[in-house]
Amino acid sequence: MSDSALPPPPAKRVRRRRGLRSSPWRTALIMLVVVVWLAPVAWIFATAFKAPRDVLSLKLFFAPTLHNFAVAFGNPYFLGDRLVNSTIVTVSTLVIALPISTAAAYAFSRFRFPGGAIWPLGVLATQFLPPVIIIIPLFVVFRNLNLLDTKTALVIANMSFVVPYATWMIKGFIDGLPIDMEEAAQIDGSSRLRAIWDVVVPLVLPGIATAAVFCFVVSWNEFFYALVLTRQDTVTLPVSLMSTRTDQGDAWEVMATMGLVIMAPMLVISRLMQRFFVKGITSGGVR
Amino acid sequence: MTRVRAEHDWLLKYLLLAPALLIIAATLGYPLVQSFWYSLHDWNLSRQPTLGPFVGLANYIGVLTDDPDFWNSVRVTLVFTVASVVITLTMAMLLAVLLAGGGPLEINARTLLVIPFAMSPALLGISWRFLLNPEFGGADWVLKTLIPPLKGQALLAEPSLAMAALVLVDVWHWAPYFMLTFVGALASLPQETVDAAEVDGAGSLRAFFQIVLPQMRPVLAIAILLKTIFSLKMLDQVVTMTGGGPGTSTVTLPYSIYETAFRFFDLGYAAAVAYLLAAVMLVLAVIYSRMVMERAA
Repeated sequence: MSDSALPPPPAKRVRRRRGLRSSPWRTALIMLVVVVWLAPVAWIFATAFKAPRDVLSLKLFFAPTLHNFAVAFGNPYFLGDRLVNSTIVTVSTLVIALPISTAAAYAFSRFRFPGGAIWPLGVLATQFLPPVIIIIPLFVVFRNLNLLDTKTALVIANMSFVVPYATWMIKGFIDGLPIDMEEAAQIDGSSRLRAIWDVVVPLVLPGIATAAVFCFVVSWNEFFYALVLTRQDTVTLPVSLMSTRTDQGDAWEVMATMGLVIMAPMLVISRLMQRFFVKGITSGGVR
Repeated sequence: MTRVRAEHDWLLKYLLLAPALLIIAATLGYPLVQSFWYSLHDWNLSRQPTLGPFVGLANYIGVLTDDPDFWNSVRVTLVFTVASVVITLTMAMLLAVLLAGGGPLEINARTLLVIPFAMSPALLGISWRFLLNPEFGGADWVLKTLIPPLKGQALLAEPSLAMAALVLVDVWHWAPYFMLTFVGALASLPQETVDAAEVDGAGSLRAFFQIVLPQMRPVLAIAILLKTIFSLKMLDQVVTMTGGGPGTSTVTLPYSIYETAFRFFDLGYAAAVAYLLAAVMLVLAVIYSRMVMERAA
């Protein structure tokens, strides 16, 4: 799971694709695919800036307005509060999960366990189970502890998917590091823990960053657990989308505005994702 | 290594592992065991706040022998899974072949195509409910212009079309992701085989099917397995896009479990259905683990 997911040297590619490279048809086809694929996103983003009456038409041109943002951030949508909730929950999840996962990844990578790789892989495999199976007992526990509709409950629930994925991803990176440098540091008199901190952590930072990007995206977008565990005070951005479906019909322009806010950080990191996300879910699996 | 050192390392090993193990035990181990325990009880949370009477396997027997809704959901889930896996991976492969180059055009195209994949599944579903709206939905207009027989239909109000829409959205979301994994796999193929095909004068289509595709088989196998698991789990888009409707035509198993548990609060029964679904996925997960272990070895 080292670097085969990274783009290979371009020279190789140019040679392989020479038959098709200069074809204007191919260029046109690529552009067409991109336009078709992104048109729905563009339409949603445009809707965020439309006055309600423009939403109800198929016109391509309209007078843009920021009115929807005022509506979304006001009563009854309170997008500002939702944004704060999502940010606190996501950041807390990452801050707690990443050091814990890094420590576990190191242990899984460097120490022997009976059964070997079956343990981290088994932890990863739990993520293939339907999420309902996890959330039913968590819901009951949080209900008994009066933790429903709190950020604590959401962060705890997020741990159930962030820690396994992050551990697995970071383990892949540590596996790829030669052990010599840690050993050298230990011979020089450092304790093993010291060697981990001074030698391993700096080298494995790209791996931790990859895991962080992945876990950020998954936590930020998480919908189902938050739908079950929140009511009012701690509703996150994705769940807030549901509030745009009212008895008087859908407030599509507000939905689109919320969508834009949810997507904003993804657009910023989409370049990173192209490089990192491949390793995400399938790290070590598809390569 | 001295004995003291070894003992010190033994301690360190479990010290490093302890926090993660604690979290995994609390947020995965405990719920998994507890769900199974619930599934053996008749427990409706809206009638009683604590665990109801033990009923053994009655929930499971009830699900399998006396629940037409369950079998409807099985059918819906299977239709969705087969369609979404086949179409997503075919589309991903086509995109990968088209976009596998290292030029700026290809790299930028790949970066842009990832955007739909970065959308929250909740946003995905609700956006497409808007886009497929028969009065002013942009995608609805495009589809009806391209496929005239659809005219006059509300896509999400027609059972088979609602299912098709669910698949369409899933393909749109997942194809870019698998495209990236296939691009990675294509790039790591040995150059000689590709060259040999060209020298032999094999057409590019034949070269693809006879030389490239067979070498991609391990990656394809894992991709099929993973996408199957993701499709079986798919839930958010049903909640936000179709709500299981029209009728029960898009009530997938995860959605029916969700409704049983959190709309009707029949936790025992929901847990039983969840475990039946989990059993299938566990088999797939074991196959996946084997494949990954083999590739790692």
